[in-house]
Amino acid sequence: MAKTLYIPPADRGFISTDAELAAVDASVRWPVLACFLTAVHWMVVGTFLLVYASSMTHPQDRFPILGYLIDLANNCSFFTYGHIWPAAVDALVYGWASTAGLGLAIWLLTRMGRTPARAPAALMTGIVFWNLGIATGLTGIFLGDSSSVELLEFPAYASWILWVAYALFGLWAVATYLGRKPGQNHIAQSWLLVALFAFPWLYAIGSTLLSTDLHHASVDLRHTTSNSAWVYPLPGSGVMQELLSSWYVHGLFTLWLAPLGLALLYYLIPKMSGLDLQWGSRAQLAFWTWVVLAPWTAVHDLVGGPFPADTVTVGLVFSGLIFIPVALIGMNLVGTSLRGEEQQGHHGGIVFPFLVISAFLFVIAGASEELLSVRAANQVLRFTIFRECNMFLWLYGFFSFAVFGAIYYIVPRLLNFGWRSAFLIKAHYYASLYGILLFLAIVGFGGIVQGLTLENTDPLVTIVNADQVTQSFFIASTLCLSLISLGNGIFALHLGWMFLDWLRQRVQGNRLASEILLEPYTPEESAKVTAGEVSA
Amino acid sequence: MNYPFPKFFVLILAAFMFTWFALIVLPWISLGHLAPITEEGSTDIKPWDVPGAAHQGEAVYASLGCAYCHTQQIRPANSGADIIRGWGTATDDSDEKKEITRRTFPRDYIWQHQVFLGNSRTGADLTNVAHRFTTAAQLYRYLYDPYILNGHSSMPAYRFLFIKQRISGLPSNDALVLAPADMPEPGWEIVPTADAKSLVAYLLSLNKGYHLPDESGPVAPPSKS
Repeated sequence: MAKTLYIPPADRGFISTDAELAAVDASVRWPVLACFLTAVHWMVVGTFLLVYASSMTHPQDRFPILGYLIDLANNCSFFTYGHIWPAAVDALVYGWASTAGLGLAIWLLTRMGRTPARAPAALMTGIVFWNLGIATGLTGIFLGDSSSVELLEFPAYASWILWVAYALFGLWAVATYLGRKPGQNHIAQSWLLVALFAFPWLYAIGSTLLSTDLHHASVDLRHTTSNSAWVYPLPGSGVMQELLSSWYVHGLFTLWLAPLGLALLYYLIPKMSGLDLQWGSRAQLAFWTWVVLAPWTAVHDLVGGPFPADTVTVGLVFSGLIFIPVALIGMNLVGTSLRGEEQQGHHGGIVFPFLVISAFLFVIAGASEELLSVRAANQVLRFTIFRECNMFLWLYGFFSFAVFGAIYYIVPRLLNFGWRSAFLIKAHYYASLYGILLFLAIVGFGGIVQGLTLENTDPLVTIVNADQVTQSFFIASTLCLSLISLGNGIFALHLGWMFLDWLRQRVQGNRLASEILLEPYTPEESAKVTAGEVSA
Repeated sequence: MNYPFPKFFVLILAAFMFTWFALIVLPWISLGHLAPITEEGSTDIKPWDVPGAAHQGEAVYASLGCAYCHTQQIRPANSGADIIRGWGTATDDSDEKKEITRRTFPRDYIWQHQVFLGNSRTGADLTNVAHRFTTAAQLYRYLYDPYILNGHSSMPAYRFLFIKQRISGLPSNDALVLAPADMPEPGWEIVPTADAKSLVAYLLSLNKGYHLPDESGPVAPPSKS
């Protein structure tokens, strides 16, 4: 019996050889893990809702198998498309991407500051509230309390919870950053900080100026002061709402999610490839040009609309200039990762392939924004599913792949425990990769076809024709989304399996170790326990 | 990052403020004061004010997420085919019901509590939907069964906005007249709920059948009080 009780001391395992970093990783184990686990949960929820929403846009009489779902949606307001779609997108943007982004931020901030996290309880409270806010918001949408303002659909009672959660997190982040070890500076920190400032800036303005109460107040104000030139109704009134809304939506993608993903890529790609950043001296320039130019992609949603023409013109020029940061970031990240691949052999390792794809998709997303900055292209693509292609390029493409890579890298280091199956990782990688590439190709091309139909100069062409040509792309995109959801499902199961296995072994290990203390052991075993090699 | 924290923070804030000022504050200065137009010798205001039921309908429109597939904006003829699609055509309030075709301007939206310009045309533009559906009965029927006009439409049916009830006495005025296959059994009728009524009141208020001074030249200066 005594022989089986002997637990060999692990090899170095996954813990960093740098004792300082190992201590830092250990201090954020539970907060980061909580973020990742809940984020993956929201990813599964969001992807499922997305497949459901997408399948509802099919020509319904030709898909008898969908009959039950369609009947449900037609007869119960809970399941109508206008609820499922925003719930899916919000679950993905806030639940999946933002929660995972918080996890990334916690890990990167403490790691690059080389100081163990303080006040983990405050952080955990923030994470709990964050998830509570998302759950409340999604429930609100299903119950019909959606505000229909893109990405701000969560009703006010949910926004407040998110607010409290982010305030806790933000205070913690500022304290952690200020308490870092001096001399620890990295371009990834700049990206991280801009994201952490941008979110409260965007969310505070967006959720207050676009709140329904303010809409009412501003119209009432206009009723009472309709003839005065000197009273400006509140900025949340009239078409200003749509200006603010597009500023918010594009700000959320370009100043919150993109910097979070880039922070990770700027940290991990050089680290894992063991190479210096290619064109590293341009990284600062890329950062500042991105921060100034990228939010201008907001005007992509304004071209031709009831807005001041000069705002749109200037905006198109600025957003057209984002090829500068996109090219520089591409040279930094794609250049370094390609050289890294050359050295390590094609697609070596688990984490690196995800990061390479993420870097590539960032450049493609930038190119798609660039395309929308061309007025003629924008006119055609403005109201089509190309916009979805663009959004999912950021969300499912660039950002998700960065987070997948991050989770594959970080979680073993937090748990000192390996992934369970190389096959599942491969399956996840290929399902996600082909799913997203097919989705982007189909929806992107579908957008162009739909746009050309909508912009046809023949007056006999109607919305019915446009709907018909788009429907085949809807069906194809549902299939691609199903492939993506298969990959996501595999990933979620794998993460869950790993976590439960780790928990089980931890519990068992503790039990075994306590048994060792009760058993009479041999002198060598006794020495091992004393030396701390057998954990207690 | 080589900057000290406060300097970095100030630079970031400056970058944010630049976009904020140019993208939001400047347009707000030119759009914030937009007032309705009153023509000399007339008490009518343009754009037309929106009835209260329509304001309630706005909330239903938001709650059901109609804006995810329908836009409410007409681009000028030189930047899109909206006018060729016929979406820019409205009915004026004269007895002859003349047609007015034009783009939309910021002033068109000043009475709406919530503006739904929209970003997707999976469905038709609704700026002037009241020009194409002139009665509540047409809209009720379309919401109940969108496949009457296009058998393969992507639009979901909104049957939950209607209730089936037993006819007591005379049938209701707004009972739906449906295809024979969809009609309820004798003695029963399908009637719109309060939500459906306000939604339809809102849709019927969507008709920009008036001219604005904005059509000639840039946005006109505000009227003096």
